[in-house]
Amino acid sequence: MGRDIFMSTALLKVLIPMLLSGLKFTIQIAILGIIFGFFIGSITGYVLQWKSKLLKFIAGVYIWIIRGTPLVVQALYMYYVIPKLLHTDMSSYTAGVIVISLNSGAFIAEIVRGALQGVSIGQKEAGLSLGLSSRQTLFHVIVPPAFRSMLPALCNHFIIIVKDTALLSIITVNEMTHQAQIYTSMSFLYIPTYTLLAVFYLALISVLILLQKYVEKRMGAKK
Amino acid sequence: MIDVQHLSKNFDELTVLTDINLQVQEGEVVCIIGPSGSGKSTLLRCINLLEQPTSGKIVYRGKDTTSSDMDIRQLREEVGMVFQHFNLFPLKTVLENVTLAPVLTKMKGKKEAKQFGMELLEKVGLAEKANVMPANLSGGQQQRVAIARALAMQPKALLFDEPTSALDPELVGDVLEVMKKLAREGMTMLVVTHEMGFAKDVAHRVVFMDNGSIVEEGKPEDIFTNPKEDRTRAFLNRVL
Repeated sequence: MGRDIFMSTALLKVLIPMLLSGLKFTIQIAILGIIFGFFIGSITGYVLQWKSKLLKFIAGVYIWIIRGTPLVVQALYMYYVIPKLLHTDMSSYTAGVIVISLNSGAFIAEIVRGALQGVSIGQKEAGLSLGLSSRQTLFHVIVPPAFRSMLPALCNHFIIIVKDTALLSIITVNEMTHQAQIYTSMSFLYIPTYTLLAVFYLALISVLILLQKYVEKRMGAKK
Repeated sequence: MIDVQHLSKNFDELTVLTDINLQVQEGEVVCIIGPSGSGKSTLLRCINLLEQPTSGKIVYRGKDTTSSDMDIRQLREEVGMVFQHFNLFPLKTVLENVTLAPVLTKMKGKKEAKQFGMELLEKVGLAEKANVMPANLSGGQQQRVAIARALAMQPKALLFDEPTSALDPELVGDVLEVMKKLAREGMTMLVVTHEMGFAKDVAHRVVFMDNGSIVEEGKPEDIFTNPKEDRTRAFLNRVL
């Protein structure tokens, strides 16, 4: 009995701060991942839609490789293989951010392509016929409605990214799952640790789902 | 002003226009009529180069528009277009729709563009809708905004691609009224339309197209009361 009480205070005093520090990394990596991923995905999605055959081919290969390999394998490769090939050092955190960004970029590319195709050709023609350049037409006429239509899918993808970061524990990124693994390896308290870990994720994702609902509702109202 | 010479247009194997010759003078209102699929819209779209002609040329104010040194943006600024489905920018207010192009092309400063935009909305009778989103307007109102948007670039000529075909019948009148006003002010207009009443009243010249070529053209009173060609007569019998 006394031992159990000791365990539960230790649990709270040690595990929760560990999970919280892991949570910080989880959120950080997810946010960097969606930002870089959106950047990469926008360029790739745009290229898929309009530009030259060569660029289209490169974009196609990139998407093929990312979709054709597991995220875990990509993470292992980025952390253990790429630095060797390039004769450099890379922290697990950097490798993690790169992998998540490249991974989400490939999926966001498809979202972007769909959204761009969803804007009617008439919009483009209206812009051009007013004497706007193709660049002005793209950024001022086509992108605003396209971005709006892909917001729900982007929110959804952000939730997926948050969960994907857990896989980075395999390359020792100090995110939440890895912190929980460290704690169990010291304490052997599997049941409370992983239960609490799951609850942390569930709470985080729930907040994001509410945010997503809010965004969708606002968009619906504006239309 | 606009001189179409031996214009042909194919989409892959499909021939849409064959050997079109058409002149539009400054200040003239020309209506193009004819059955669906006769190439009327494609002809308009070739004039502001939304479509590239396959052969032949279009001379605008002495310049061959298909030559490589043609400034296409300049051409489109001077020859505006109004579409069948309006194509307003859905996330911008009515006034923003009108001011977007003059501001982006640095034709006007923001303030000046706004002021001019309001004048144009006044002209099409929609000044009170300046801050409304396009989706909250009727089709006829949207089309009038689209006309104001085209006028914002101070074009020298306007192309109308079936501007009233997507409208409920009771909304057609307001749009035609605006177009009549423009015609009276001396705007050069090339109008693809099914509104025979408008063509009769407003056009200086009516062009009848069928199957990708011009069958007959002439003064409205001649075309409508005394057509020379059988195909024109047959078409008019069906629509009048």
